[in-house]
Amino acid sequence: MLKSLLKPVLLISAAAALTAPAALSANDLIKSGETVAVAKSTLSITPPRDWNKLSARPGKKAETWTLDGEQLNDISFYSDIAPGEPLLRERSKKRDPLPKLRSNSLLTDVPEFLEGTYRAHFGIAVFSLGASKPTKFLNEPAIQFTYEYVTPDELTRRGEAIAVLRSGKLFMITYDAPKLHFFERNIEDYRAVVASAKIA
Amino acid sequence: MRPMVRLLAAVAAMATLGAANPEREFDLPTYTGAYQPQNVDERGMWMVDDESERLTRDSRLVIRDEALNNYVHSVLCRAVGNDRCGGVRIYILRVPVFNANMSPNGTMRVYSGLLLRMRNEAELASILGHEFAHFEMRHSLDEFRRKRSTSDLLAWTAVLGTLAATYGGGSTQSYGDFRISVYGALFRFSRDQEREADILGFSYMAEAKYRPSAASEVWRSAMNEADATSTGRALRGQRYDKTAFFATHPTNLERADYLSALANRVPGGEYEGRNAYQAALAPWLDQFLEDQIKLNDFAGTEYLITRLGAEEWTAPLLLARAELYRLRANPRDLPNAVEFYRQALTLNPDLPTAYRGMGLSLMRMDRKSEATPSLSRYLELKPDALDADMIRSLVAPQ
Ligand SMILES: [Zn+2]
Repeated sequence: MLKSLLKPVLLISAAAALTAPAALSANDLIKSGETVAVAKSTLSITPPRDWNKLSARPGKKAETWTLDGEQLNDISFYSDIAPGEPLLRERSKKRDPLPKLRSNSLLTDVPEFLEGTYRAHFGIAVFSLGASKPTKFLNEPAIQFTYEYVTPDELTRRGEAIAVLRSGKLFMITYDAPKLHFFERNIEDYRAVVASAKIA
Repeated sequence: MRPMVRLLAAVAAMATLGAANPEREFDLPTYTGAYQPQNVDERGMWMVDDESERLTRDSRLVIRDEALNNYVHSVLCRAVGNDRCGGVRIYILRVPVFNANMSPNGTMRVYSGLLLRMRNEAELASILGHEFAHFEMRHSLDEFRRKRSTSDLLAWTAVLGTLAATYGGGSTQSYGDFRISVYGALFRFSRDQEREADILGFSYMAEAKYRPSAASEVWRSAMNEADATSTGRALRGQRYDKTAFFATHPTNLERADYLSALANRVPGGEYEGRNAYQAALAPWLDQFLEDQIKLNDFAGTEYLITRLGAEEWTAPLLLARAELYRLRANPRDLPNAVEFYRQALTLNPDLPTAYRGMGLSLMRMDRKSEATPSLSRYLELKPDALDADMIRSLVAPQ
């Protein structure tokens, strides 16, 4: 998950040399083969390789893992998002409101929900949705889709997501990585995480 | 009279309405040519500005469409005259905010959100002219000199460097919070500078025979839009500095009034250039509308689409309005969306996006039997659509 866009500015202005991602704390290690509950929910994952969990949650019902560092190859879990709730934590409910899930939202609305959230939250001007197709996730009809966007650091990033609505609540796992090199390198690691997902 | 003295006189005249010689009030000062840096500090600032321009030039956000660039440049030239516009480099950035700025080395940045909001060439000319007026009067340089006394050049370089490194040098970090706009912090013009730029801006308009009231209308509408956004978000008070443009050009209601008063006194033309403007923007209109709709600012967007539609409700505007309502999707929004899609399709029956949106809206209203023909039509028109498989799954009998 991208961090607030204020951050890159502070990094750059502090000194150009300080832009490397912060070192990951060992405490946040998610060990391969161990089943963990994610995003404070009944959604559980048994990853086939080690991941690092970021201590900062992008939302109340969200959690982000990475392999090499934040924004390089991130998996974000969104669990149990209810109608009326945004995907990410709003910077300011009034000043910068984010799109909300609706009780009448359909699977076909999920890609636009994510797009609207990214554009508004990260100040992204160039964002395009890629292909979407029906699939199964957590044993239910689901949507799988891709997307691509340019972040303010002028990098093109790609994303892939899978989402399901269970009794009107959204469960989604996304993968975001720079298009160059990182996306292709770890897309299968993401898919393996998705394949291990179970819900109680 | 020296240009600056005459400007100040004109400002004074404004206070005492009509006391000055009305025939000379909006005469253009002689252009002295592009200013060159005079000392080591200014040369340092220019270097940073040049670097910022280089990053802007290479930005992924720059719209490189030659026709659109030529047109915007021609509007600047018509507005301020060929002797003034020659050295200006204009970069059109795909950023959906109302903004434009010009930095001391002669770089002008025009945001796609500004182009979307202009109804005609005269409105665009008034904004470009206003920016150029600040440049001609070296306002940002005055500001630099003023701030220079309290901070050192290194700090300035760091800030300008940061600015250059983000979004093509001149955008903001978040559309929602323009207080952190570095540009806004650096080049926030004073109220006196604003008045000077307004008057010189009107002088350009008069010389170029553009309809002067376009200038006051465009400022007023931008303020109204900011009001609509605030009301829509239940924010109190009339605050305009959340709009990128107003973060650098401080404004208030009194200004809207004095601009109208000035516009009434400016001699000059009636040229509006509505057709020329719309033709130039046409290839980009759908894209700019889409970028705006997805900002999640329902009230502000509704205001701006309605303003554009007040001249003529075209199919692209109706489609954009329908999408805006569908994306918010309050229960009462969906029937409105369906109606706007229907109106758009009446004007242009070949809009796949309208069939898609209408079908999805009806589907969300639990009117599947009405939704299906719309979605099927979408699939007929766009069988290879990126979401065709998903839409097919909706249409298929369950
Ligand atoms: Zn100004």
